[in-house]
Amino acid sequence: MASVSSGFPFNLPIASLLVILLICLHSGGGQKKKENMLAEKVEQMMEWSSRRSVIRMNGDKFRRFVKAPPRNYSVMVMFTALQPQRQCSVCRQANEEYQVLANSWRYSSAFSNKLFFTVVDYDEGADVFQQLNMNSAPTFMHFPAKGKPKRADTFDLQRIGFASEQLAKWIADRTDVQIRVFRPPNYSGTIALALLVSLVGGLLYLRRNNLEFIYNKTGWAMAALCVVFAMTSGQMWNHIRGPPYAHKNPQNGQVSYIHGSSQAQFVAESHIILLLNAAITMGMVLLNEAATSKGDVGKRRIICLVGLGLVVFFFSFLLSIFRSKYHGYPYRTESG
Amino acid sequence: MAEHHGSVSDSKHKASAANVGASFSGNGRTSPVANVSSGAERALSTGLAQPAGWQSLLSFTILFLAWLAGFSARLFAVIRFESIIHEFDPWFNYRSTHHLTINGFYEFLNWFDDRAWYPLGRIVGGTVYPGLMVTAGLIHYVLNLLHVTVHIRDVCVFLAPVFSGLTSISTFLLTRELWNQGAGLLAACFIAIVPGYISRSVAGSFDNEGIAIFALQFTYYLWVKSVKTGSVFWAIGCCLSYFYMVSAWGGYVFIINLIPLHVFVLLLMQRYSRRVYIAYSTFYIVGLVLSMQIPFVGFQPIRTSEHMAAAGVFALLQAYAFLQYLKDRLTKQEFQTLFFLGVSLAAGAVFLTVIYLTYTGDIFRLLYTCYIPIHIPIIASVSEHQPTTWVSFFFDLHILVCTFPAGLWFCIKNINDERVFVALYAISAVYFAGVMVRLMLTLTPVVCMLSAVAFSSVFQHYLGDDMKREIPAVEDNSDDDDKRNSGNLYDKAGKVRKHVSEQDKAEEGLGPNIKSIVTMLMLMLLMMFAVHCTWVTSNAYSSPSVVLASYNNDGSRNILDDFREAYYWLRQNTDEHARVMSWWDYGYQIAGMANRTTLVDNNTWNNSHIALVGKAMSSNESAAYEIMRSLDVDYVLIIFGGVIGYSGDDINKFLWMVRIAEGEHPKDIRESDYFTPQGEFRVDKAGSPILLNCLMYKMSYYRFGEMQLDFRTPPGFDRTRNAEIGNKDIKLKHLEEAFTSEHWLVRIYKVKKEENRAPLDHSPRSTITNKQKYTSKKVWFALRCDHPLWVV
Repeated sequence: MASVSSGFPFNLPIASLLVILLICLHSGGGQKKKENMLAEKVEQMMEWSSRRSVIRMNGDKFRRFVKAPPRNYSVMVMFTALQPQRQCSVCRQANEEYQVLANSWRYSSAFSNKLFFTVVDYDEGADVFQQLNMNSAPTFMHFPAKGKPKRADTFDLQRIGFASEQLAKWIADRTDVQIRVFRPPNYSGTIALALLVSLVGGLLYLRRNNLEFIYNKTGWAMAALCVVFAMTSGQMWNHIRGPPYAHKNPQNGQVSYIHGSSQAQFVAESHIILLLNAAITMGMVLLNEAATSKGDVGKRRIICLVGLGLVVFFFSFLLSIFRSKYHGYPYRTESG
Repeated sequence: MAEHHGSVSDSKHKASAANVGASFSGNGRTSPVANVSSGAERALSTGLAQPAGWQSLLSFTILFLAWLAGFSARLFAVIRFESIIHEFDPWFNYRSTHHLTINGFYEFLNWFDDRAWYPLGRIVGGTVYPGLMVTAGLIHYVLNLLHVTVHIRDVCVFLAPVFSGLTSISTFLLTRELWNQGAGLLAACFIAIVPGYISRSVAGSFDNEGIAIFALQFTYYLWVKSVKTGSVFWAIGCCLSYFYMVSAWGGYVFIINLIPLHVFVLLLMQRYSRRVYIAYSTFYIVGLVLSMQIPFVGFQPIRTSEHMAAAGVFALLQAYAFLQYLKDRLTKQEFQTLFFLGVSLAAGAVFLTVIYLTYTGDIFRLLYTCYIPIHIPIIASVSEHQPTTWVSFFFDLHILVCTFPAGLWFCIKNINDERVFVALYAISAVYFAGVMVRLMLTLTPVVCMLSAVAFSSVFQHYLGDDMKREIPAVEDNSDDDDKRNSGNLYDKAGKVRKHVSEQDKAEEGLGPNIKSIVTMLMLMLLMMFAVHCTWVTSNAYSSPSVVLASYNNDGSRNILDDFREAYYWLRQNTDEHARVMSWWDYGYQIAGMANRTTLVDNNTWNNSHIALVGKAMSSNESAAYEIMRSLDVDYVLIIFGGVIGYSGDDINKFLWMVRIAEGEHPKDIRESDYFTPQGEFRVDKAGSPILLNCLMYKMSYYRFGEMQLDFRTPPGFDRTRNAEIGNKDIKLKHLEEAFTSEHWLVRIYKVKKEENRAPLDHSPRSTITNKQKYTSKKVWFALRCDHPLWVV
């Protein structure tokens, strides 16, 4: 490692240097032209990206600025289909994340002409899709400054997802450009809350002469039960995990509303459970009501039987759903 | 299982006492049913207008039986296996309790553990909640003082079941304050056997939660009592109980937020009274001072945002009380101007704070505390931190989850001061349980209480019609109780109850048939609940996970004791100061059972250290060797389940190691390298070459390729992942196999020392050049590696 120079013959480096010089002289005119072209391209790209953080491309532009060789900049391309008639909801979400990332880059202090964000829409550049042999959207690709894109230059959307943090990480990996993702704070929640508060406040103000309804226990009890039912039926899980509403079997078109495993659930399933829980609770309340309320005995008997029916029937139903999800219940499983 | 059904349905017909006797000696399955039905019997017998002595005798008996049932239902693991500490965290608790009993309390508080987190060490005394260890140590001390010589391990194993009895008693007390005695007894029976609580308190699970739920319930009981009476005595009791809770579990934050919330809502409902003022002022001040005495908590109660709500409510309460005082002294006009001035000032202050918080971004942290951990791999990797599906709710609470909203309904319809508390408790706990599975534990007590309210009000109306006339007597009785305790401020609830009892008198009909059908069906539901509880306890929550069991086709049982075999091997055959590297899950067990130094353990306080171990596991052998040399590793311990089909092994956890390592060393480890191009994680021939050559893979499958498990499968067939492994010819250069347990579950490798340098064929003069070479190599090494620890 330490001894590099000692054994080498002197003539080899000099010879190679000469060869390089010769080549340079030979193609000197072409080189200059290329440089001009490059500068022109970079200038053009900079101008576009100063106008919009993501540059829209069609087939010609794509070939000229992204595919054609003299380049010293990396290009990120999102292949997508944003036209409403394509009905690609994933594309829209991915586009939002991509915009966030591009904006973070555009307004960051490290912004330079080394990296550009572009987008190719299928309806504007179908030929590009054909040329690259691409048949799914959205796809993120990186075109490095030198050489052709490799396998790792296509972003693995399936596994990593398209959160802009992940995209930024991938870009850092491919180009050594670090982008700190800055998300514009989401004010919609705050505004909605403020609206709600002012609405409620306004309502209270309008009905200030008759505030009895605040002391209505039934209303409060209803609200409390709504929270309880929402939580015990796993709406929070839905909110965090975002499962599909129901599953449609692609082979025979059957729709299943209940997820087969006990580790997961569908949105529809949680709604069913919510209703079952509410029915059982109502049954219990009716049982109590039947025993305590005044009035006709026959009517109370019916209320009582309805309540009992609600409890027993819906609890059995709930139990059977649980059993279908929890295989082997209530029998001992082999592993113990 | 058929037999199981039989025994339970039998128990319904038998007398309760005989049954419990049987269960105590036997398996504890039958007794819960007996208890629940005897809870119902209680209502019947009080209906007979017996003297009060009968009532208290019955309550006492039922509580005792509930304790017994709860205790015996938690013994499955001890009977099946032996008296052994379970799982992971309990091993640490056991080890520190052991340290406490041997070296004394002060030594324990100052304990610096140099056997964990090598080479960093860990200050144990200042980073644990000492309540659990002190409780167990105290019991051990008292027993030994009385010359009952038990080993500290047995105290630790049986601590949680014993405390479950105390929990059911405090639940009884709390529910009695909230509703009536019958509901209290039902609640005590429910909480004794409900799986949501058993999951954390089976015998051998020596963990904070086991005693903390008792402290939680008892604190709430004392709080309700002090709000009811307004006496400083109960408030001080509440503070002491709170102090115990703070010393036992981090979940005390729930109390210090719920009680202020209760006070705040009472203020909003214009239910302010002097009792509330006395109770809360005492509680806040004394509780604050006491909670700061725990070293681990320290100054957090006056610094962190979780405790600010309590301080805010305290200030608000003082202001409110002051206004009330002024109201008596000033004229109405003066008061109004003053009031508006005060309110606008306060509003301005709140507004400015919110602006400030928003500006610094703190408010989002406050609002979304629950969401933040999900994005950090080390927290996301723990399965307890996941949100809860409805199945988990039903699994842990069964019928109670469907009926407790009814109890909540009754409570809100007949609201009074303490029922406001239980409603708030229910709503906040159910929210937290929805966000995180492990917080199901805080929901369980309130669910038991409210379900007991629902069931007891049904039983009250439907159990036998000859007691109809006597119900008012019972009601009056409990009303008296209320009045005695709290003066005449509970007019609302009292009125409603009278209302109810009047109607009961007016009630003619509904008929004995309907009544008995309703009663029978309700008892059936409770019986199913008891069956469910025992089934869940027996099958899901009673595995020590240190000892595994497998069942043959004829039902006989095999015990797989590989873990203890391997840990004992380490204890006997390695140097006392040997350092063992393993994934963090096994750190506490190695420290507890093998008594060897570990690099990382279940107290995951240092992410970068864990990432370093993860990196070593997921690099190739020579890169890993460099890391291991720099960390002075002597042995590497891994868990491999491919032979017996154990799914919780290290290969299945491997992706988390990669992820955590990638978080700290993104240049060297990339998660995508461990997948096939199709994005699958495979261990067979199609798997990615980086995976097939990483250290974890090599250690797991070393010599496994030679092994044919049965005749239908090829050699080297992994039963956990159902695949023939892709790299059968594994050679280890820097490691050698030291020990593999009987079923290959634990494999231990010895890290070889660096090899001797090649003998010098130069004359001694040339040492100078040699030295130069050596230093240059070292510098190159240091430059290449970015981690400071690596520069030797």
